Amino acid sequence: MKVTPLLLFLFACAPMVVSAQTAAQRRPVNAAAAASKISTPGEFPPYKPPLTADGKPDFNGIWQAFVTADIDIQDHDAQAGPHPDIMGAYGAWPGGQGIVEGGEIPYKPEALAKKKENAEKRMVVNITSDDRRHETGDPELKCYRPGIPRANYMPFPFQIIQSTDNIMMVYEFEHALRTVYMKNDDKEAPKDAPADSWMGWSHGHFEGDTLVIDTTGFVPWTWFDRAGDYHSDALHVVERYTLVSPYHIMYEATIEDPNVFTHPWKISFPLYRRMEKNIQLLDFDCVEFVEKLLYGPYYKDPSK
Amino acid sequence: MGNRSGVSPKALIIAAALIAAPGWLVAQTNSPSAAANKAAKPEAKKAWVLPHTPDGQPDLQGYWTSLSFTPMERPAKYGNREFLTEEEATQIYKEGIQHSYEFTFNDRAETPVYDATVYALSAWQEGVAPNRRTSLVVDPPDGKIPALTPEAAKVREAMRKHGPNQDYADPNAPVKADTAEDLNLGERCISFGGPPILPGAYNSNFHIVQGAGFVTIEYEWNNEMRIIPLDGRAPLSSNIHRWHGDSRGHWEGNTLVVETTNFRPGATFQGANPKTLKITEYFTRADQNTIEYKFTISDPSTWTRPWSAIVPLSHMNGPIPEYDCSENNNDAVNILAGARATEKAAAEKAKKISQIN
Repeated sequence: MKVTPLLLFLFACAPMVVSAQTAAQRRPVNAAAAASKISTPGEFPPYKPPLTADGKPDFNGIWQAFVTADIDIQDHDAQAGPHPDIMGAYGAWPGGQGIVEGGEIPYKPEALAKKKENAEKRMVVNITSDDRRHETGDPELKCYRPGIPRANYMPFPFQIIQSTDNIMMVYEFEHALRTVYMKNDDKEAPKDAPADSWMGWSHGHFEGDTLVIDTTGFVPWTWFDRAGDYHSDALHVVERYTLVSPYHIMYEATIEDPNVFTHPWKISFPLYRRMEKNIQLLDFDCVEFVEKLLYGPYYKDPSK
Repeated sequence: MGNRSGVSPKALIIAAALIAAPGWLVAQTNSPSAAANKAAKPEAKKAWVLPHTPDGQPDLQGYWTSLSFTPMERPAKYGNREFLTEEEATQIYKEGIQHSYEFTFNDRAETPVYDATVYALSAWQEGVAPNRRTSLVVDPPDGKIPALTPEAAKVREAMRKHGPNQDYADPNAPVKADTAEDLNLGERCISFGGPPILPGAYNSNFHIVQGAGFVTIEYEWNNEMRIIPLDGRAPLSSNIHRWHGDSRGHWEGNTLVVETTNFRPGATFQGANPKTLKITEYFTRADQNTIEYKFTISDPSTWTRPWSAIVPLSHMNGPIPEYDCSENNNDAVNILAGARATEKAAAEKAKKISQIN
């Protein structure tokens, strides 16, 4: 970078600008610059979170991701959504940088073919009164519970209600719900899932200030995104939630499924605290918006 | 259905859900032993001290059931009696257990439609305890839901003539299932109702969790969730409507008081007016195994006076597994497909008759 007299002037009197320049030049960070690094994406100054009354990092609040991973968790360009002839920009999807560490999901070859087929048939909805209904079509399109990790990066808020024995995670999308069991109890919170479920069976514990949630017991029908990324019922997700500022959680998840992937892989992104005054979850019980899509073939033909 | 008017509308929803809902099968895994033990040991009550959460609130947390064998309205035979004798209460409790073994929706004795044991359920639902009240309704003192206003009576009569999607529909009316919107909200996996918390025939189970500034109540039905803020925030705008209304809570001594408004049209308790309905709930931990739960219904455009009921919430063992519903809604498919098959058969029959003629 060429240092001009103007830049020298800014160094002297504008700390925010200075920090950007110093980061770019990889200069040693002094105390004033560290405080101003809040504005540097991906970096947070050291932070000690407030504690709940029982002494745990306090995750209570309404949170939301602002990545575009629900469209595609890997790198993707902006694209027309369904029916651009009538939906126009309302239906178009933004581009985005992926959240997958290393960029690529390590699919087994045959699984990659299945992902591509999923993507091609993401809007092929064929609802029967048996499990064949789950063979094609993005579960989000059908308003099914999004599963984990997808629920955490859908474009809807979710609320964490933290108690000593349980942490409830309530998602606005289809009021999907997770109970994270924080105690081990053979009867009320057995280690293994009593039955497979869409949102999985979650046990949590703290490692330092990080909330670690281990989830198994998934049905094989949730996807990671609209791009057809998927898993089997062997899915095992380990999530790490770390408060990095009063307003941010850094979220990481390790995803393991030996039926589909050659090795475990990681995603990460920040969650943002919703700060609107009196923010609360409202209802997005989308069932009422998808009934004709799902059950239309069984509707009475109004012409008869 | 009229003699059990408090239960009947719920029963319709439950009847539908029984057919619909795959989630309930996994949800009934609890043993009856805990409730039997606690019924046998009332002396444990003396030593009990109200527990508090780490931040000092009375602790309502845990798994609770509103299952009850007490009718909503007081049967005529009890007159003005508010309480049963021990013997009567025990007798009704035993009958209730038997009833839950082979319960029916409209008439317990004459039209058995469902045998719990088919699905490997225990013969009765865990947690319920004997209740000495003659009715859940405690106010008015006659134990009866007050009369409808003339306008509300007209609305309800109109609903009765509707299809099966309405709580007060004639159960013998022909099934109208042209589209999913003809089905009731439970069949559609949209809402199983509430507040208030009432006893259903089964799955009347709840999980209460308290976090800083919030109380949450998870209903087993469809894992529906009420998040109740305690921070004194203003109510939502009247332009926002919610399936379970919008709740605000506060503590009055050891009682959690929850006021709920902003109901959605078509999804209110007993078809009340969503614009004027206000439900106030009072949760008081009575002992280790009981929350005394009282609710007051106020809707001057539906009932001629406010009225209140007390439903004891009894401790049960968790957990409450996921209740997937719309994800596997066979009921919606089968009802609609059945209606189309019926129409097709009728059309073919008519065609044959016209060919013969």
